[in-house]
Amino acid sequence: MPANRRIARALLAASLLTVGLAACGSGEEDTTTGPDQSADKQITVYSGRNEQLVKPLLDKFTEQTGIAVNARYANTAQLAAQLVEEGDKSPADVFLAQDAGALGTVAKQGMFSTLPETTTAKVPATYRAGNGQWVGVSARARVLAYNPDLVPADQLPASVFDLTGPAWKGKVGVAPTNASFQAFVTAIRVQHDDAKAEEFLRGLKANDPQIRDGNGKILEDVLSGTIPVGLINHYYLGEVAKEQGTTPDALKAKLHFFPGGDTGALVNVAGVGVLKRSADNPNVQKFVDFLLGTEAQTYFAEQTYEYPVIDGVPGPAYVPALADLAVPQIDLNDLDTLEATVTLIKNSGLVP
Amino acid sequence: MSDVVLSGVVKRYGRVTALAGADVTVPSGQLTAVLGPSGCGKTTLLRCLAGFERIDAGEIRIDGRRVAGGGRQLPAHRRNIAVVPQEGALFPHLSVADNVGYGLDRAARRSDRVEEVLTLVGLAGYGPRMPHQLSGGQQQRVAVARALAPRPSVVLLDEPFSALDAGLRAGLRHDVREALRADGATGVLVTHDQGEALSVADKVVVLRDGRVIQAGTPTTVYREPVDAWVAGFVGDAVLLPAVVEQGTARTALGVLPVTGTVTDGPVTVLVRPEQVRFVAGPGTVTATVLRHDFHGHDALVGLRLADGTRITARTLDDGADWPVGDEVTVQVDGTVRAFPTQAASTTSMLVDLAA
Amino acid sequence: MRRLVPRPALLAASTAAVAVALIPLAYLAVRTAEAGWDRVVAELWTDRVGLLALRSIGLAAVVTTACVLLGVGTAFLVTRTDLPGRRVFAVLAALPLAVPTYIAAFAWVSTLPRLEGFWPAALVLTLCSYPYVLLPVAAALRGADPAQEEVSRSLGRSGWQTFTAVTLRQIRPATAAGALLVALYVLSDFGAVSILRADTFTRAIFVAFDLGFDRTGALVLSCVLVALTVLLLTGETATRRRGARYARLGGTRRPVSRLPLGPARWPVIAVLVGIAGLALGVPAVSLGRRLAAGVSRPGALPEVLAAAGNSLTFSLAGAALTMLLALPLGLLTARAPGPLTSLLDRLAYLAHALPGVVIGLSLIFFGINVAYPLYQTWWLLALAYATLFLPLAVGAVAGAAAQSPVGLEEVARSLGRGPWTVLRTVTLPLTLPGIGAGAALVFLTGMKELPATLLLRPTGSDTLATELWTSTAVGAYAAAAPYAALLVAISALPTWLLVARSGLLDKEARA
Repeated sequence: MPANRRIARALLAASLLTVGLAACGSGEEDTTTGPDQSADKQITVYSGRNEQLVKPLLDKFTEQTGIAVNARYANTAQLAAQLVEEGDKSPADVFLAQDAGALGTVAKQGMFSTLPETTTAKVPATYRAGNGQWVGVSARARVLAYNPDLVPADQLPASVFDLTGPAWKGKVGVAPTNASFQAFVTAIRVQHDDAKAEEFLRGLKANDPQIRDGNGKILEDVLSGTIPVGLINHYYLGEVAKEQGTTPDALKAKLHFFPGGDTGALVNVAGVGVLKRSADNPNVQKFVDFLLGTEAQTYFAEQTYEYPVIDGVPGPAYVPALADLAVPQIDLNDLDTLEATVTLIKNSGLVP
Repeated sequence: MSDVVLSGVVKRYGRVTALAGADVTVPSGQLTAVLGPSGCGKTTLLRCLAGFERIDAGEIRIDGRRVAGGGRQLPAHRRNIAVVPQEGALFPHLSVADNVGYGLDRAARRSDRVEEVLTLVGLAGYGPRMPHQLSGGQQQRVAVARALAPRPSVVLLDEPFSALDAGLRAGLRHDVREALRADGATGVLVTHDQGEALSVADKVVVLRDGRVIQAGTPTTVYREPVDAWVAGFVGDAVLLPAVVEQGTARTALGVLPVTGTVTDGPVTVLVRPEQVRFVAGPGTVTATVLRHDFHGHDALVGLRLADGTRITARTLDDGADWPVGDEVTVQVDGTVRAFPTQAASTTSMLVDLAA
Repeated sequence: MRRLVPRPALLAASTAAVAVALIPLAYLAVRTAEAGWDRVVAELWTDRVGLLALRSIGLAAVVTTACVLLGVGTAFLVTRTDLPGRRVFAVLAALPLAVPTYIAAFAWVSTLPRLEGFWPAALVLTLCSYPYVLLPVAAALRGADPAQEEVSRSLGRSGWQTFTAVTLRQIRPATAAGALLVALYVLSDFGAVSILRADTFTRAIFVAFDLGFDRTGALVLSCVLVALTVLLLTGETATRRRGARYARLGGTRRPVSRLPLGPARWPVIAVLVGIAGLALGVPAVSLGRRLAAGVSRPGALPEVLAAAGNSLTFSLAGAALTMLLALPLGLLTARAPGPLTSLLDRLAYLAHALPGVVIGLSLIFFGINVAYPLYQTWWLLALAYATLFLPLAVGAVAGAAAQSPVGLEEVARSLGRGPWTVLRTVTLPLTLPGIGAGAALVFLTGMKELPATLLLRPTGSDTLATELWTSTAVGAYAAAAPYAALLVAISALPTWLLVARSGLLDKEARA
């Protein structure tokens, strides 16, 4: 098989060449991605938020300030694990996370610096850490997505706890492996107690729920009529509309915001924390301030369909204003009491 | 020019002793055949000599220099010994010329040494070909040329002709012999084929159970084997019980003159089949024809003597003059060799390992 | 022991390679020790863990069995029958290797929305991983001595009896090696089990990270996977011992006589086309539909090319480093077998069933604490690939080295060449096709790898796999499709090389 051997030879040569190049390449790269970030205008951001969602915003920041953003995108939970593993030697300046729980986990390791009061003051106390370790940059509401063909609006439940009733057997989509679900269960524990959370999870499990891998998948199945209702975050509807080139109103799924301060209407945040080593880095400070500025907040409202967290920026078009929501009275700082929640969810049998 | 001397070489594999103190001398410039049945240790001997195996006792010297033993183990590539393996083992990724030039240094590779040895083995001009384009015999020739090229102290040939068909084997055997001689090379040929050993070697070393039983010229080994086993191993043999009295042996084939000095008493005598001759008319020994083994150039005729002893006679024709079942008269030419009778061998036996 | 290869050097290099493969185990040991005995017991001594273990073993068993049936069957059809267009079918049968399980699983749930659980996951995993059995078995079937089968037939055994009594025995080592890779792959796979919600250990490990940010719990669970791996390795080693050597005596390669399929060939073709349709057609159609339905578009061409370039670079670097580490161990396995060698070989497999995220974290640990200058450079990512894929490479090298006769090296030594020269001029050139095959396999698997790549890639470098993940995570499926297509297309190239390497494309002399 001489042709075969030629290919093998070529492949081997290519591999060796690559290693060679890598050797040369990495030498140069060390100056930019290595741990010793000099005063050159560059910051490293670990982003648990999706590249598609935040990259345009980061580009805008660079454009305005001349500060390059070295962004590392991954799943929020795994980035949190990575940060904890890296400890003091982390090359990251900033952690931009999907939810408060992940920020809390890193904060608990004592890896975040305390943000200046001038920064945190911009955000209502509900949406930031009490000790100033992290601050929310955008808010997302838990909603019940429903297909009006299958569930008329007047039959929607008044409370998320109604979903364990016989009327909803086999009809509710949930993503129990998702961090947003875990935050929601924690919220039940905070607003009510562990017994209530356990009862809800047991009831949900017994009610033959439609378990999906993520919120996006639930919404997709609600849209297609495969499942009538599903517990998701509100902005997924906007994402789907964007992908289908239409507006959320035109879609075959509507959002139901639970009324009356029900736990089902929990508002969680995506937020940001600054690593200790970068506490005094002015570039990092500029970045955090940028995220809380009018432009970024407007971006969140318009492009990612999230709620802004500062005053004076209108929310996304197709959902009720944040101020009009009957948000349950929960301190998001309490959402980092994960372990008991996770145990409850595991014991319920909803997750492996 | 170098003598190779193995003294008291012992090699064990776990509990199995492959070489039990072998002493072999390979005279320089000659071809020495190491002959023995399978499992006798001949391949082990070659591998120890080449440096592929570490010996457990004894020593190996090449040209007076100790290469193995006494705590010394010169690695294979420093021994200046080239091997021609059974299957030739040409490097499949190299051309014939590159195969032959493999053991040469850069300068020698550019000289005409490669073409020179290829010519020696009758493959002048085959340099650019790839091994898979050659026949089995040609591959063996290249393997020999490759071994000769760097002018090693010794060329080891490990049953190099056994995979070839008979016609090719004889021709190649001869050519290889001539190539070694023309190059003045010292050779060791390992084989289980006594015909091969006797026909090409200057010296034959007979190995059994890891020991050298006999060493000498092919003629000596054939004509004067040291014991009945060697007699049977190196050729067809009729072994008969006999009693020696004053230089003659009384046997079922009559009274025969014995070579050398033998003490009187019961012995086993060796009669080669070619010594048994059919005679016309009445004689002292009569026999019944049992069978014919036709070999083309000659034939072996199996006979039963009056007392029931079975013997073999060789004739140069097809043996058709003596049909099976006929009574014939035979006679033994020349002298016979006598060995002390071993306790076990009481009756006569026919050893015919070569057939 | 024959000292043909420079043994002490090889042994040292092999030990180094194995040390790399054991980094994740060292990491697990450190973290588990930190967790403390009580935590470990609390985490592991539960019904849930027992159930997960049973389900993981069950899934591995089902998928491995199915892969063996499908792999051996297809290999037999394309190597030993007069199947029309068998070269095309050989390529089609191997191509699923280029399809990552997360793409296949996603395609399936997009097509049949209610698909979930154990059996669908088993189906998708089987369709994606049966080439791991097909390729080595096809090569073994081509290399097996037809004389043994002929003897069996001449002794009055029927074709079927001969197949079970002789042929299957001849290919047993190849089958067992392929089956082991499949089983370990199933244990480590996250893509299919998470999308199809089969509750296995790997999924539980990911859930522990995602749901509770619970690193310790996840790592303690991972230890069970290592234990399961040890069980599997013990089993495979036993087969290997009994399977010993089925070498061909004598030199010439004789073409086998092909079994005429007769009228059975149409149903056979239908089945093969059906399998190809399930394994390749479903993902292709699904990707196409997603592309047509969405309005999101991938980044500009330079961005796509950059991602493709990074994928190529990282995977090639990974393949090169892995081969460099695998070469000494493979040669050692083939040339100096013994208890020490086989221990080293088995150790190289130990981390193979760990999910990518655990490998990723352990390399972060290694990078931060031991090799900080390499941290978040592609060196560390290449090292992660080596850790993940070393067994694939060692197997390929050892297989090729075992096929090149020891006698050649002895001759070379006798011609005055030292061990290193012999290695360079004889052993390596003859092992090259095996090295190429191993590199192709590692390259291919590296292209598809996601979790470790996400954690270890240099900050700011996207690959096709990470771009795919980025797009699908926000539902931008149309944007994802080109990345998926490119990923599969590039992976198809080494797959083709692997098919060619197993001799399935060779034109044969008329028998």
